[in-house]
Parts: sequence; C-alpha cells; structure tokens
Amino acid sequence: MKMEITKNKKLLIIKCLIFLFAIIVAFLPSTVARSSEVNSRIVVEMIGIDGEEGNELTAQYVMPADAKGATQKDKTTVKADTLPEAVELLSTTLGRRADLGQCSVVVVGNVVKPEILGTLMTATAVTADVYLIAADNKAKDCVGDLTDFMKKSGVTDADFIAYAAKKAHVATTTLLNFLSNLGSSSETAFMPIVTVMKEQGGGGGSSGGSSGGGGGGDSQSGGGSEPQPVGMKVDKLALYNGKGRVGELETKAARGVAWVSAPIQRSTFTADIEFDGIKVEDVAAQLIKKSSKITLNKNGKVTVVVNAKLEPFGDRYNRIQRKTDDCSADIIRDGFEKRIKEEIEAAYLDSLGLGCDPLFIGRQFYRYMPDFFNSSYTLGGPSVEFEVNVTLK
Amino acid sequence: MQNENVKQIGSAGESSSSQTDVAQTDGGSKKSKGKQSSGKQFVVVVFIMAIATKMFILPIYLIQSAGRDGYVVLAITSAVELLFLIITILAMRLSQERDFFTLLTSVFGKIGAKVIVALFALFLFFKINVAATETITFYTDSVFADFDSSIMTIVLLVFLVAVANRTLRALCRLNEIITPIIVIGITGIMTLAIITGTDLANIFPAFQNMGRFMYSLVHNLSWMGDFTPLVLFVGRTEIKKKGTAIAAGASGLIGLALVVFQSLVMCSAFGNVPELVDSSTNISGILQYTVGNVYGRVDMIAFILWSIAAFVETAMFFYAASRCIEFVIGKNAHFAVGLGLGVALFITLIFGLTDPTVFEALMSCYSTSVISPLFTAGIPVLALVCALVIRRKDKHNGNKNKNQNDGDTVENGASRDKESESNAIENGAHNKIQKEAGDGV
Repeated sequence: MKMEITKNKKLLIIKCLIFLFAIIVAFLPSTVARSSEVNSRIVVEMIGIDGEEGNELTAQYVMPADAKGATQKDKTTVKADTLPEAVELLSTTLGRRADLGQCSVVVVGNVVKPEILGTLMTATAVTADVYLIAADNKAKDCVGDLTDFMKKSGVTDADFIAYAAKKAHVATTTLLNFLSNLGSSSETAFMPIVTVMKEQGGGGGSSGGSSGGGGGGDSQSGGGSEPQPVGMKVDKLALYNGKGRVGELETKAARGVAWVSAPIQRSTFTADIEFDGIKVEDVAAQLIKKSSKITLNKNGKVTVVVNAKLEPFGDRYNRIQRKTDDCSADIIRDGFEKRIKEEIEAAYLDSLGLGCDPLFIGRQFYRYMPDFFNSSYTLGGPSVEFEVNVTLK
Repeated sequence: MQNENVKQIGSAGESSSSQTDVAQTDGGSKKSKGKQSSGKQFVVVVFIMAIATKMFILPIYLIQSAGRDGYVVLAITSAVELLFLIITILAMRLSQERDFFTLLTSVFGKIGAKVIVALFALFLFFKINVAATETITFYTDSVFADFDSSIMTIVLLVFLVAVANRTLRALCRLNEIITPIIVIGITGIMTLAIITGTDLANIFPAFQNMGRFMYSLVHNLSWMGDFTPLVLFVGRTEIKKKGTAIAAGASGLIGLALVVFQSLVMCSAFGNVPELVDSSTNISGILQYTVGNVYGRVDMIAFILWSIAAFVETAMFFYAASRCIEFVIGKNAHFAVGLGLGVALFITLIFGLTDPTVFEALMSCYSTSVISPLFTAGIPVLALVCALVIRRKDKHNGNKNKNQNDGDTVENGASRDKESESNAIENGAHNKIQKEAGDGV
C-alpha cells in the first residue's frame, strides 16, 4: 500500500513536471511571449503586380494595432529586381512583417508575364486560392483606386470579387485555377478585368473609364479635385495564352465564357423575346442552375452543350405571359436559348481570333482523344456546334 | 508419451512466459482473457493508421514524379497494404489469444524472435521518423513559421515519451475519442471539394508516360507499412466476432479510399502544373482549387484534423517501437526506453530529416523502397504463419491428450483435478496482472 502511494506520488510529480515544461515551452519563445505580436505584422489584403517580371508590387494593407479602432487600411508600392525581393522589400518599407497569407485578391497589370504568377504561388506566402483580377493598365493604379473606393464604401478586400463569383455573371478564377488552365493543353486562361468608375468633375453622374490617378506609392487617398471612385465594373475578360496577355473579350463574349467555363450561379440576365411580330426587349430571368458539357466525336466534331434552368421575372415577362397564354413558356425559352447561344458563339469566335481557347475544347480532345490531339488537332480546326437547353422554373 | 506432450507444451509456454515479462503490464500473458483493446477501438485505430502519413507530403512526391497519374501509384500501394491488413486481422483471429511476441518465440525460439523483433523495431523507428517529419514540416511550414523546429520537436517528444509510458489501452482510448471528429471533418471537407465542382476529369488522359509512372511506383514504396504496428494488437484485442474483423477491414478500406480520393483531387488540381506543387499547397490544394475565398480558410480546418491524426499515428509507431525494444532487451522499462528512443529520434530529426532534401532522398532511395514493402508484407505474414503453426501444434497436442485420456480414466481424473487447480492459480495470477495493467491505465 505504501509502495503504491509512493508510485502514485512519483507519477504525479512527473506529470506536474511535464505540464510545467509544456507551459514553459509554450510561453517562453519570443514569438509567443511578445505581447506586441499584433503590432509586429501587416496584413496584406490585396496586391497589385506590375512589370514584365512582376517586380513592382503594390500592396493594400491593414496595419493592426492593439489599441481599439487603430486598424487602418492603406497602400504602398515597392520595386525590386525580382518578385520575391519585392515581397521582402515590402516588409522593409513598412517596417513590419508583411503577412501575405491573408491576401485574397491579386491585381495583375497588363504587361505581367503569366509565369510570374507561378512564382507568386511557390515563392511567397500568397495562397493558391486568391482571386485574380486584371487591371486595364497598371495594377498600381487599380489597387490605388480600389483602396480609395473601399475606404469610402466599407467594402472589404475580396467582397466584390467573391460576390462576382457567386452572384454575378462573371467568369472569375483563382490563382491555381488560372495556372492550371494555362498549363493545360488549351494553353489558355482568363481573368476578369476590373474597371473602376469615377465621378465626373462637378458631381452627378458616373462613368466607366480606365483607372488613372489614384495611384499607389503613398498613403494619400486622392483628395482635392481628383475624380473620386464611385464603383467598379467587372464585365470584360483578359485572355492569356503562352505569349502572355493577348487581348480582351467584351461583355457579350465574356458572358459566353462564363456559361461554359465558370461556376456561375444565381446571376441575372436579360434576352429579347419575339412573338407575333412583336419584340419585347430585356425580359429578365435569374439563373437557378447551369451545367455545361463538351462532347467530341471520332471525326473531330465538337458539340458544346449548355443546360440552364432559369426563372423569368418582371413586368415584361408578365406581359408576354398574358398575351401568349399557353405557348408563352416555349416562346420565352426560345428567346433565352437564342441569347445564350449568341453569347457562347461570340466567346468562341472572338477568342479564336486572339489565338485562345477559353472554352477548353483542346483540353477536352487531349483528355479523351489524346492520339487525335497529338496528331491532328489545331486551334479552330474542329467544327464546333453549340446546343443550349433552357428549362423554366 | 504423456511426458513428451507435457514437455512440448511446456517448452512453448516456458519461452513465452520468459518473453512476455516485458509485456506484463500490458496484460500480454500467454493466454490472456482480459484484453487491452476492444474491437471497436481496433477499428478506429485502423482508420487512423490508414490516413495519417499519406495525406501530406506523399501526394506532393507522387504528383512531382508521376504527374496526373500519381493517385494510381497510391491506389496500388494502398491495395497491397489493405491485403496485408486483412492478413493481420486473420492472424489476430487465429492467434488464440497469444500476443505477437509470444507467437514468434513459440515458433522461432527466444533468439530468433529477438532478432526479428529487433529488425522490426528498426523499421518502426524509420516509420516514426517519417510520421514525425511530416508533422513537424507541417507546423514549421504552415502554422508556426517563426517557431524553432527543435523546440517543436521537443514538445512532440514529450508527448511521445508520455505515450510510451502508457498502455495500449490508453492509446486506444485516445483514438476512440478523436477519430469521430477526424472522420466527420475530413468527410465534410471531401464533400465540399466534390460539391464545389472539382474538375476531376483533369486526371485524364492516364498513363501518357509509363516510364515516369513506373519510376514513381518504384521510388515511393518506402511510404508503405503504416499498418505494421497493428501486429501488437494480436492477442490483445477482442476480435472474436466476425463482424468486428469485417468492420476493421472496412475501416482500413474507407481510410485508404479517402486517402486515394484526396490524392486524386490533388492530381486533378496540379496535373497540369506539377512543378508548382510544394509543401505549402498540399492537403488544402483540394479546396484552393475549387472553393476560392468564398468560404474563408477552410483549408486550415483540414490541416488541423489531419495533424491530429498524424500525431496519433506517430504515437502509435513510437509505442510499438518502444515495446519491441523492451522485448529485445528483456526489460520492462517504459520510461527509460521511451526516453532513449526520444533522444535518438531527436538526433535523426534535427540533424537529418528536417532538411527536406535529406528526407526526400531517404524516401525515394532504393533501399527504403525495398525494406518498407518487405516489412509491410513480412510482419503480418509472420504473425499469420506463427498463429497457424501454434494452432496446429495445439490441435495436435489436444488430440494426443484426448487419446491419453481415453486410456486411463483414474489417472486422468487425478490429473484433471491437478490441472484445474493449477489453472485456478494461473488465472488468479493472470487476473492480478490484468488488474495491474488496468491500474496502470
């Protein structure tokens, strides 16, 4: 009995010592013990990359502070020889460790080589799931304008692009997805172009236009007579292939790409409906669900099939329903099918002209007919048909 | 004739009893009725062993070496591992409540058993290093970038030495508590990966470069052998019911299927860009490919769940290695052996394997690629063969005893009384051992 008590006591002492050791280890290292940890880092929410080698970096950051309400959003620009050096320089410039792990949007300037984005993923702390957006011109200007707009509107880092990914008809992409698409046999990738809209002098209306002014490099938010950003447009796509950024797809073609190659949902769109010689313009519908499929046959013919479930709404839809009675569903369905087909055809033809394949037809050949792909496939070679099947809710 | 029989049984019993003093606190007697783990606990341990070391670094190596066919390599090695898991389970059912060390001693003798177990301990030490390196790499790369890896290793070692001091029962209970959380979490994340539209078709076309595929297959065999510590459950687990055995097999199958699926998703994510995959884009690659930032950093949940499983698997290897060493040295010194093993592990980790280049070289070299499959197959087969040999011996002896019994009923009656008396004493002693083991828990 006495021995057992001694043994238990020993065990208890050992347990206490282990616990004490764990506590010491957990709290002694400087990284943990420093009470000013929050003050030692800067959280980068958005970065812009410029220069062919991606060596010019603009960061939109928040500088957390342990004082209440001390957090502030700002931007800065650094330039180095290479991208990793620019990231390092960012920390030096700001005097704190720039934490890129929380970055959720990367703005890509118009001259950046796409392979630099691979370096961004492997040589920096930027995660593979960041959204990519393209700047009209310089990423520095775009980040500057977006920062000003965010300060004004309270929109946080990726809110706008996350919204576009889920609720708008925009073909968004993440860093890994972009690189994977570019590395596929289609050798094509895309990212949405964000255009910051600014109020015209004298107030009143706003108009779209390429972002200018606002620029990074300092902490000013563009006061005085500078036109202020009032919103943003995400309706065009920048197309990339092995040569880099080769062009843009306008709204109609960009929407076509979204139908086939992006996980859009819950977007709203319109179509013109014709019946009995009457044309009702802009009948609205909400997308409930969509799927797309590319089928190949042995002769190298391709059929791009899009199935969409839509819910029409609005007074124009009601007007058509009243006038056409039983056949309204067919008329509306045909109208929407025609519109979607036009958009997909525009996407295919416009991108073909730029030497790109954003519908990934080539990739489909490589996946399922690799011999044909290796021997006979050329971009634009196969005859492509488009089939759209709309069902109405 | 009777004397011969008694001698035969006695020799086996003698060797086993002399060997099992090491495992006494684990209840590892010749024929134990009280078990160290229940069938349910064994089922969850199998699941943890199936998933833990195949979800972090291995998919990266597979993609780098085999590209989009990497998951096939894993599927093939997993199928082989599953086969030998089934053999382990069969051995457990046929072992007639003798533990692995007893089985070996009965068949190969004291020296032979010690040689085999010593080699097995070396292999387990290699596996501890693999599991520990994975865990430490994850924490140094992804969680505590500024934290000194040697301090992290010490913390891990404290946990491992503590585990070595406990019984198998304690380890099983730990598994029982955490496995449901891991199962729910990983299943949820995999489901998320599917419903958010992972483009699994990116794994096509398959086998476009057979040379590369074969190279990957040959050079990644060193990752095999995750189920080998399960031989320590032989004779210590309640697995008499057929349903329990099937459930354990199914648990291994589900675990391995999850691992292969995760690898498949990663292959489809990185199949076009295998040069971009690295340790910072591993398990979360699944989600980064599909989910985007809409749901926040869900990949961190996946990481944490995986790391818990990796901790437990490392502990399992450590426990098994320490018990094997104790058997070899013939001493029941859990703390001393655990500490020694911990120090050895610290040296190999800090001075070797935390360097990714050294680790990669070790895992892809021919010698480890030969040794691992050898132990993966050899240990379960040994356990099964020994169990069958002992079973046959027992049957043979039983028949002989029966014939003897028919010959002399008077003598028999007396001997039966004597036997039952000795059994009662043995059972009493055994119960005491079990009680001690229970107290230890």
